This record gives sequence, structure tokens and C-alpha cells, in this order.
Amino acid sequence: MQNKLKFAIPLVFFLGLCVFLFQGLFSDPQARDAMTLDRPMPEFTLPDLMQPEVMYTQDVFDGKVTLLNVWGVWCVTCQVELPYLTALSEQGVHIVGLYYDQDLDPDFGIKTLARVQQEVIDITDRLGNPFAYNIFDVYRDTSLDLGVTGAPESLLIDQNGIIRVHHIGDVNHRVWQNKFADVYLELTGQTINGVAE
Amino acid sequence: MKYMVVALLILFSASSFATQENYQFDTPEQQALFKELTATLRCPMCQNQNIADSDAMIAHDMRRKVYQLINQGQDHDQVVAFMKSRYGDFVYYQPPVTRTTIWLWLLPISVVLLGIVLILRRKPNKLTAQDEQAALARAQALLDEDK
Repeated sequence: MQNKLKFAIPLVFFLGLCVFLFQGLFSDPQARDAMTLDRPMPEFTLPDLMQPEVMYTQDVFDGKVTLLNVWGVWCVTCQVELPYLTALSEQGVHIVGLYYDQDLDPDFGIKTLARVQQEVIDITDRLGNPFAYNIFDVYRDTSLDLGVTGAPESLLIDQNGIIRVHHIGDVNHRVWQNKFADVYLELTGQTINGVAE
Repeated sequence: MKYMVVALLILFSASSFATQENYQFDTPEQQALFKELTATLRCPMCQNQNIADSDAMIAHDMRRKVYQLINQGQDHDQVVAFMKSRYGDFVYYQPPVTRTTIWLWLLPISVVLLGIVLILRRKPNKLTAQDEQAALARAQALLDEDK
């Protein structure tokens, strides 16, 4: 009996290791808990992308449920999600863009604002424009304050300016149903699915 | 041939300059702090790279932010706390001791302790001594036969 138990130890150890490593196959190494959840929007003062003389602060989100979409024309996945976001906005979701540019390096700028604006107009004309307006994150430090690691990322901000959902990656029908729909329903009492009826 | 070598040298020098930015500091201490911080902060987008090594845009932005914070007079811990509050514990290479991470320290120690216990508890093997005696006796018998 004693001996049989001794033989079982490596087997049990091995099986445990198998289960542990097998789980690892399905875990996403990029997945991390967003630090922004249930926190208020960080303070900022940023211009409108199209009318730089208009300035926004974090108070702009008060009183309205907003889907804040971090994006840029250089980002391919952002283009993929534009039609779906447009469908959402047509069903009444208030979507605001937090725009940041890659080539417009604040320290060694090589791109003019006019060119960035033209690129944005071109792409939204082609793929749909879900944005009520775009906030221009000139130095990308509001993105940094939000813990954004790249584009696209989307945040659902409630009426009090608190971040309720932080999603890394594109928003599509599945993601909306799984991550956003319930919270959106809770906040607004509306069921939105982004699919044309 | 000479031109080839020069061309190759230029090729490789370009890649090593890719992540160099010119950050000027008032004091050598600030410069050292910048070096230390960018080496110990992890790029949140990359799998395993510090922000000094990475050429990802987020790493550029984080280096610039570290530079700004240092110039504002913030110390090592304040900059790390700033980054952690935005990107979580992941962003710093020294993990905090929590209920899940404590095993990183406990597991190696317990394996060593288990090894020591197993070695100490091992009984001296009597069988080999007996076998040796028996073998010697057999050998002696064979020798005796040959006589």
C-alpha cells in the first residue's frame, strides 16, 4: 500500500502539471484588468480635432452615457469597427472619438493638422462616421492616463463621468453583447444591438 | 568589398539608433534615475520588453512621460506609482507580494527544504554491504576451486 502511494505521487504531480499547462493554451497573455474601471475620467483639456479652437474638458461627459472610442486613421482594426460603431450610433448610442495620431510626433512633428483632418474626413466618408465629435489627444497623454496601450480601445462612460467598461480591441457585435450591452441597459434602460432590423 | 562593409555598418547602426531619443537632464542623478526606470518598467503592449528597449509607440510615450515626471522632481517610487495606477502591476518588473505571487518565493524554498528532509531521512543501505560480503565470499570460493 505504502509503495503504491509512492508511485502515485509523480503521476498526480504530472496530471496536475498537465491541467495547469493545458489551461495556459487558452489564456490570453495580453489580457489584463484595466486600472481605469469604476474610476472617473482623468482630467484633461484638449481641442476638437476639426475645430481646434473648441476645447473640451472631462466635464463634457457629464449627464450623458458616452462610448469613448480611442482610434486613429493609421489603425487598421479601427477601420474594421467603424461600420459597426456607425450602426450603434444610428440606434442612438452617443459615441465620441479620442483621436490620436502616430506620425504626428509632438516633439518631431512631420504631419500637419490639416492633413490629419483630411485623412479623417476621407475615412469616415468611406466607412461611416459614428462620432458626435473627436477629441484630439495631441500629446497622447490622456490616452496614457487612461491606460491605453494601443488603438482601438473603447470605454463606456456613465452620466457621472465614471468609466464603467474598458475594452481593448475592436467593438463588434459579439463584444458589444458580451461586454457592453448589459451595462448600457443598466445605465440607459435601452437595449441596443447594433444590428439593423 | 570596402563599400559592402561600410554599407553593412550603416545598416546595423541605423537599427541600434532606432530607440534613441535625446533627453537632456540637469543632473547626472536624474539621468541615472531615467536609465533605471526605463529599464525596470515593462512595455504594456509587448510580451516581455522594458520601455528602454521597445520601439512601440506606447513605450515612446512612456519614456517621454518618465522624462517629464523626473524633470518635475518626482522620485523613483512616485514614477512607478504613477505608471502602476495606469497600467497595473504588470508595468513594473518587480512583482508585489500578494496571496497569489507569494508562491514565487515560497515554492523554490519549499522544494529545497523537501530535498534536505528527503536526504536526511534516507536510511543507510544495509543490503549493499551484505551483497559485497556475499560476492567476496563467492570470489574466494572460486579462487579456492582453482587451487
